[in-house]
Amino acid sequence: MEKKRSSEREAFRLIEDMLELMEQRGLVELEIEQTGLRIRLKKAGGPGPQLVEYVAGLPQPVAPHASPAAKPAAAEGGGRSIIIKSPMVGSFYRAPAPDAPPFLEIGQDIEPGQVVCIIEAMKLMNEIKAEVRGRVTEILVQNGDPVEFGQPLFAVEPP
Amino acid sequence: MFSKILIANRGEIAVRIIRACKELGIKTVAVYSEADRTSLHVKMADEAICIGPAKAEHSYLNIPAIVSASEITDVDGIHPGYGFLSQNAHFAEICESCNITFIGPSAESIRLMGDKIAAKDLMRKSGIPIVPGTMSAVKNKEEALKTARRIGYPVMVKASAGGGGRGMRVCHNDVRLISALMTCQTEAQAAFGNSDVFVEKFVDEPRHIEFQILGDQAGHMIHLGERDCTIQRRHQKLIEESPSPAIDAKMRRKMGELAVRAAKAANYHSAGTVEFLLDQTGAFFFIEMNTRIQVEHPVTEVVTGVDLIKEQIRIAAGEPMTIKQEAVELKGWAIEARINAEDPANNFAPSPGRITAYHQPGGRGIRVDTHCFSGYEVPPYYDSMLAKLIVSGPTRQEAIRVMQRALDEFVIEPLRTTIPLHKQIFSDPTFWRGQISTNYIEKLLGPHE
Repeated sequence: MEKKRSSEREAFRLIEDMLELMEQRGLVELEIEQTGLRIRLKKAGGPGPQLVEYVAGLPQPVAPHASPAAKPAAAEGGGRSIIIKSPMVGSFYRAPAPDAPPFLEIGQDIEPGQVVCIIEAMKLMNEIKAEVRGRVTEILVQNGDPVEFGQPLFAVEPP
Repeated sequence: MFSKILIANRGEIAVRIIRACKELGIKTVAVYSEADRTSLHVKMADEAICIGPAKAEHSYLNIPAIVSASEITDVDGIHPGYGFLSQNAHFAEICESCNITFIGPSAESIRLMGDKIAAKDLMRKSGIPIVPGTMSAVKNKEEALKTARRIGYPVMVKASAGGGGRGMRVCHNDVRLISALMTCQTEAQAAFGNSDVFVEKFVDEPRHIEFQILGDQAGHMIHLGERDCTIQRRHQKLIEESPSPAIDAKMRRKMGELAVRAAKAANYHSAGTVEFLLDQTGAFFFIEMNTRIQVEHPVTEVVTGVDLIKEQIRIAAGEPMTIKQEAVELKGWAIEARINAEDPANNFAPSPGRITAYHQPGGRGIRVDTHCFSGYEVPPYYDSMLAKLIVSGPTRQEAIRVMQRALDEFVIEPLRTTIPLHKQIFSDPTFWRGQISTNYIEKLLGPHE
């Protein structure tokens, strides 16, 4: 009984996280599979068939926000990961200088206020600070990548 | 010619600009706030960058975010549309310093025309009639009272840095003038960061006539005729038409020449609009110049056959303008009705939300500029305009008939829109006769308006 309840709770939390992810990323459909569990969410009466027809006639947008790496990584977090998102538009750098060591690596623990990366905007190097505590599980962008507002940068597992 | 342009705007004007770019073979970059993620301009552009949260000051007015987006997408031009940063001289300067072409006039022209007092002064020196009043910011109430007695009541107190109908008050006597002075100065400081106000004659029951001008960087300047934008509610335009029922060929030539002279005096290039008030006696006065493409530009496009956005892009790319003034002709009649998400039956309360059924009118003589589609969620954070319905016909009467048909066909459910109000206006005999002035809406809807 206990086990069933806790897995129900886990499923519920996963659905909540999926819904949030769908809202953030403007997704109409999302399916996630993990041990013993497969959940598929589809927005009812969303932009719907008319929009699909419209888009099909256009060249596919090469939008940075459609980066495929971001979606599964966030989902694989299994609902517990916190995503550090970019607070601005610019170019992402992992280190303070080209020849310097990166601010962090996967597996590293971080504290609130710790600098996690640089985002360069209009020739200014902005130090981006973590607002969470935890262990870095994923680095979701590459050094030098252009990033937009809200773009997922790191997945962090809270303690 | 540009290879890639970033559109620093949203909604229907962003769609309009993307269409022009596509036809010119120019790649496009859309910027959007989190609230506009599913917006049409984002879907249509070749690339799209999220620049911030919903609030305009953090997104569409966020200069660092927009410039940064331009850099990472490597664009060579930015089109600012209308509103937002389109008349921000500082933004135009930053674009210049980043080697990105701002598609519009120079920062200097923007700054000059953005200062209403300086603009009036320049016009007066150029021999263009202006509304009588103070020629500099009012220093104290004695000066205001003296001016009012010189030019005669009623007078208007206006913010120098204002625009779009904001920061203005009408006064019929000394007492009202003094209180209006203080209120306007406070409002102006809060809204525009500049408390300078001036006093000018209130032109009673005027028509609002504006001239579209177009000039290249080599100094060739033409006008493309007038638009009559008299039908306004609280200084916001609702309906615009070209030509104006109140302007004949002689007046068009005269006012057009003055509009071109005004633009040349401001060292202008690109598309712009010179606004006049026309009083009941046929006298007209310069009130301001808009240094951007305007919402109602389609009515001029329809009657002249000129694509104003493409011309702006060509001019910004340094190409010489090929249109000659003698070749400009207003053929037929065009009328635009702004369809806003507002409920006219409920004091124009905003009506955002999801559009569940959308069907726009079609057929001969109809053009619809919009960003709406079935399933689109209209966000509450920005202006309420949903679509511009532009009709045309060989005569004004026929254009009105097309409009009536078009309004009947238009479906935007379940939102409340200004369509019912337009139906009322377009069947009103006063409107049919063309005998209107800027208080038309007030008269039509009643005194509480």
